[in-house]
Amino acid sequence: MAAPQIKAATGLHREPPPDTRGTSSPVSATALWLGIVALALVLGGLLVVQLNFALSDRSLTDFCIEVGLPEDITGALGVCNIVEALRSDAMTGFLYGGMALGIAGTALGFGTYRRMDTVRRREQAVTGALLGIMAVQIAVVLLVFRAGRPDLFAKHFLNFTVLEPYFMGPFLNAMKNTIVLALVGEVGGIVIGLILAMLVLSKRRAARAPARVYINFFRGTPLIWQLAAFYFLLLFGFEVRLRAFTVAMIVFALNTGAYAAEVFRAGIQSIERGQIEAARSLGMTYGQAMRFAIVPQAVRRVIPPLMNEFVILIKDTALVIVLGLLLSEHELFQWARAGVSDTFNATFYTATALGYLAITLPAIYLVNRVEERLRSGLVGITGAGH
Amino acid sequence: MAAETRTGDDLIRLEGIHKWFGDLHVLRGVDLRMTQRDVMVIIGPSGSGKSTLLRCVNMLAEPTLGKVWFEGRDITDIRTNLDEVRTHIGIVFQAFNLFPHMTALRNVTLALENVLKLGGSEARARAMEQLARVGMDNKALSYPGELSGGQQQRVAIARALAMEPRMMLFDEVTSALDPELVGEVLEVMIRLAGEGMTMMVVTHEMGFAREVGTRMLFMDEGLVVEQGEPREMYYHPQTERLRQFLAKVL
Repeated sequence: MAAPQIKAATGLHREPPPDTRGTSSPVSATALWLGIVALALVLGGLLVVQLNFALSDRSLTDFCIEVGLPEDITGALGVCNIVEALRSDAMTGFLYGGMALGIAGTALGFGTYRRMDTVRRREQAVTGALLGIMAVQIAVVLLVFRAGRPDLFAKHFLNFTVLEPYFMGPFLNAMKNTIVLALVGEVGGIVIGLILAMLVLSKRRAARAPARVYINFFRGTPLIWQLAAFYFLLLFGFEVRLRAFTVAMIVFALNTGAYAAEVFRAGIQSIERGQIEAARSLGMTYGQAMRFAIVPQAVRRVIPPLMNEFVILIKDTALVIVLGLLLSEHELFQWARAGVSDTFNATFYTATALGYLAITLPAIYLVNRVEERLRSGLVGITGAGH
Repeated sequence: MAAETRTGDDLIRLEGIHKWFGDLHVLRGVDLRMTQRDVMVIIGPSGSGKSTLLRCVNMLAEPTLGKVWFEGRDITDIRTNLDEVRTHIGIVFQAFNLFPHMTALRNVTLALENVLKLGGSEARARAMEQLARVGMDNKALSYPGELSGGQQQRVAIARALAMEPRMMLFDEVTSALDPELVGEVLEVMIRLAGEGMTMMVVTHEMGFAREVGTRMLFMDEGLVVEQGEPREMYYHPQTERLRQFLAKVL
């Protein structure tokens, strides 16, 4: 008998684990595919039909003109295509087909998953059922929606033609302004927050108290009030005339500082006591111990929550609307409102939502990646010793 | 042995030390003096105040009452620059407390550069020398997380030694280690004692206490119950409480 290869006692054995999920079965695979196809029919069908109507050469239908989309309305044809696509027989087929398959997949999956004898089979059955439920839900929503007044909704929220004169240049400029407001606010807030955190952590009440008052005030009053109050406080109280955009950046920094202070405080307090004791016992001052030992560790831990604050701030920049900005300073929300009041069409808000998502989704993705890396890095930080 | 103690020779002297944590009275009047080259081992059941007493020596725990003299200076005086005093008193902790975001080498050079204000190359040379002393020079660029507990503790000892302290405090430094890693740390401490380092050692390692200690202190419930020559105390305990304690730990 060949002796198994024995590795050094201290060596780590590294090899990928075997796949223990077991095999598939016809029943479980059927449930899974029913769910997949059902969802594909509903979502794919919606996409295909809409694209088909949008891209093929069409003219206004009698129905559209009848419900109030005559030719002289900007973008009437585009809106009409969206509505007609929804109402088309093809769409009906996709929706009912998807619903039927979805119900079948759900019934089969939920009906059999308990009896599945391998992990893979059970997962396939349950996944098929879940996808089936999703397909049914979406199909039902679309059926109800098109039975109502999809023409009115599309006319006001999906009439992208009206955006044309306002698009790209002004829109991108608005995105840039949103990012600038949030970024300056966040960076300023981090600086203010770190200082406040140091004060709040002081053992002296006289140092803690004013920082507490500041933090509680900015956390306890609405940001929209702070923007307005600060602007007029500067203007009337101090006779300082700053551009509203500048005031907004300052207030965002002041406000974010209060939240960042709490984040930093929690981060610093989460560092083991032994760390500051080790630093102080080497003769470091409190400040040196903070600077070299504590804050660098705390900062790593608070990066995810700080980035979350940033995502929140990106959306809160919309509040500068209370100050009224110059045209060139319009951020996403004011860009939309200006457009809406020009055209009486709310499709601008739809575009704005997409604009916010274009900024926040990459930021959220980044937060999650960083969090993942920090979590896996923690193994290296806390050590193998305990 | 430096059994003859005159006040002027005392490296460290504690007088009437009381310590409260909230309403918990953990040290209830402790006097203690150490001269150069003393290796004082402190034993006693958990919660007896051993670690707190040791931490009073470098003022990581401030005595509620009582005075601590270091080289004739009253370091409980509020005007004392504790940061300066602490550069002369090294301490090693149970939990190592290495800075996890720095390499072993950087752990050692950090205070050399920022407290002792040594230049970069000088600090590095001194750090490498101390890491070699504890057999860790080949891991100088490893992070604490990449080291075993015993290795981390040896780096922690090197970090303290690099300050060239007049005395060293050891606070249950082997208690957090896997049994097979205790030896390498004790070995370093034994060598250090042999080189004449003044040491105060809180420990549960009775063998080490008996063989390496020049004086032993047995504490219970915040008081020094018995003190003397380690072997003598070990083989001929005078008090019932020490007898009971020894019977339990052996």
